[in-house]
Order: sequence, then C-alpha cells, then structure tokens
Amino acid sequence: MHVGDGIVPLWLLLVMYVVSGAMLVLSARRIRARFDDRLVPYMGVLAAVIYAAQYVNFPVSVSSGHLIGATMIAVMVGPYAGALIMALVLFVQVLGGDGGILTYGLNTFNMAVFSCFVGWALSAYLYRVLAQRLTEERAVLVATSVASYVTTVAAALVLGIELFTVPGFGIVPFTAIVGIHALIGIGEAVLTFVILLYFVRARPNLISFLSGNEVSEIAQVGGAPWATPEAAAPTTS
Amino acid sequence: MERDELVRFVLPIVVVLIAVVTFLVLGGLASQNPDGFEWALFEVANVTEPEGVFEGIWAPLGEGPLVDALVGTIGIVLVFVLAMLVFYLMARRE
Repeated sequence: MHVGDGIVPLWLLLVMYVVSGAMLVLSARRIRARFDDRLVPYMGVLAAVIYAAQYVNFPVSVSSGHLIGATMIAVMVGPYAGALIMALVLFVQVLGGDGGILTYGLNTFNMAVFSCFVGWALSAYLYRVLAQRLTEERAVLVATSVASYVTTVAAALVLGIELFTVPGFGIVPFTAIVGIHALIGIGEAVLTFVILLYFVRARPNLISFLSGNEVSEIAQVGGAPWATPEAAAPTTS
Repeated sequence: MERDELVRFVLPIVVVLIAVVTFLVLGGLASQNPDGFEWALFEVANVTEPEGVFEGIWAPLGEGPLVDALVGTIGIVLVFVLAMLVFYLMARRE
C-alpha cells in the first residue's frame, strides 16, 4: 500500500502533506504533556514490531500483502501516539525507498492517520459490545482483529479513491485494489491477533483498553474515555 | 521503566524481530509478488511504472537476500532508536 513518487498528481500530494502534517502536530500536542518517560522504550519496541511486520510480504493469490498494524497500535497506545509511531515507521521506510518522498504525506494519511483513528474507533465500539459477554482479554483480541480487517479494506478504498486522479485508473482496478485487500485483510487480522495475543499475555499494561493499563492517559480521545473497560462494563442499575 | 525491563523485555524483542526477519528473507519465505496496490495499478490498470525515482539510501548496497536482510536489520534498529528519541523529547520528566 506504499505509493511511490511519480504516480499521483502533485496537488493531491500537497493536500495530503498538509492534512497529515496537521494531524501529526495535533497528535504530538495531545500527548506531549501526558507522556510518561517510563513508556519511551515501549514506543521504540512497538515501532520496531510494526516495521518488522511490514518488511516481510506474505503471498496473496497473484499479489502479496503485509501487516499495516495501525489498528493494533492504536488499541495499545491510543490513536494519537499510534499515528506518530506509524509515521515514524513510514519515514524509515521512505529512507529505504519503500514509498516515495513526495508521497510520504499521502501514505501517512492512509496508513497512519486514517487507519489509526478509524481502526481505534471501530475497535472501541466492538470492544464495548464484546466486553459484555467475553473477558476483557478475549474482547480486545476479537475486537481489534475484526476492526483491523475492516480498516485494511477501508484504507484500500480510500487509496482507490485517491488513485482516480491517475490517468488510466478506473472502476476495474478500483474494484481490484479493494478486492485484493479484502484477502490481504485476512492476513492483517491473523497477524494482529497473534501479535496482540503476545502483548496481552506478556505486557497487558501496554493495552489501553484493558484494566490497570499504564497508557490510558495518552490513549484518551477528546477527554472521554468511552473505550475504557469501565465504560464497557454492564450497568447494574 | 526499570533498567531490568529494558534488558529483560524490550531488547530481546528487538533481537527476536531481527532474527525472524533475517530468517524469513534469507529463507526465501517473503513473497516477491507485487503488493495489492502495485498489482492493481501496474498490472490491472496497466499504468506505466515511473522510473528514475528515489530508490532509497541503501540502494548503493545492491540487491539480493543478504542485502535485504541487512537493510531489514538496519531499519528495525533505526526505527527503534528514532521512536525512542522522538518520544523521549516529548515525554514529561518526573
């Protein structure tokens, strides 16, 4: 899903630089005063996990895919810190020639900003529903995996819409890019489940949806912690 | 974070990530097929792939599984350090 240079028109790239840049500045401001320095090495290791998982493609029919990981990272540390981590991963990938320099804003919008916020919102909604019936740990695993699948397909839909600005790109390739990501999304969901399962077992304090976590301060959105376990718990009145 | 946590949890994960990526790349288990975007644009829509674009700062190292494994290792370490640096600069001190 990494778009290279020389494909999408410059005006769209500039718009995406502005939108993504504004969202990253907002994200940095949101967490700046709340971020505990004890969490710093965890941010490094989460970025490394995402980079490694994106580095290796798995085969999908005539094509291939890799984990995006935005939904998983947003569930763990919130969409603001998640978007920043994803943007850093994408930056290091640009240094390696994976995704263009001019398309960095567009790729950041698709895989960091859009995917983190949509993935987080979907996961939060599903978690709230599932936590009524399942344990917290199972609810977060299922909610995040399902949301990561939907978010992958949604991000491909957004990319497909952006590619309509490219001469020669029409409804058939649009259907193809969304269709192939409907398959790639299965891999995303499976990898999300496996990686998140490791963190649920090893460091549940790094998952913002779970009780007793140490990241809820940076994971809150709009000051309303409606994705927290307390909010998901059934009312007894 | 305790120093112990860095040694017992964080650094071992980075080492395992490097080992897994190296194993998958050198073992030929990473798919060489075009990704979903490339396939739809260049093979289904037949849009011409641009040439002469920036190929990355590691391009002078050449191509091949060994170079891919090395670049993967450098990338993992680089993003780990960069993320720690950025979040360290944003963190409040206690």
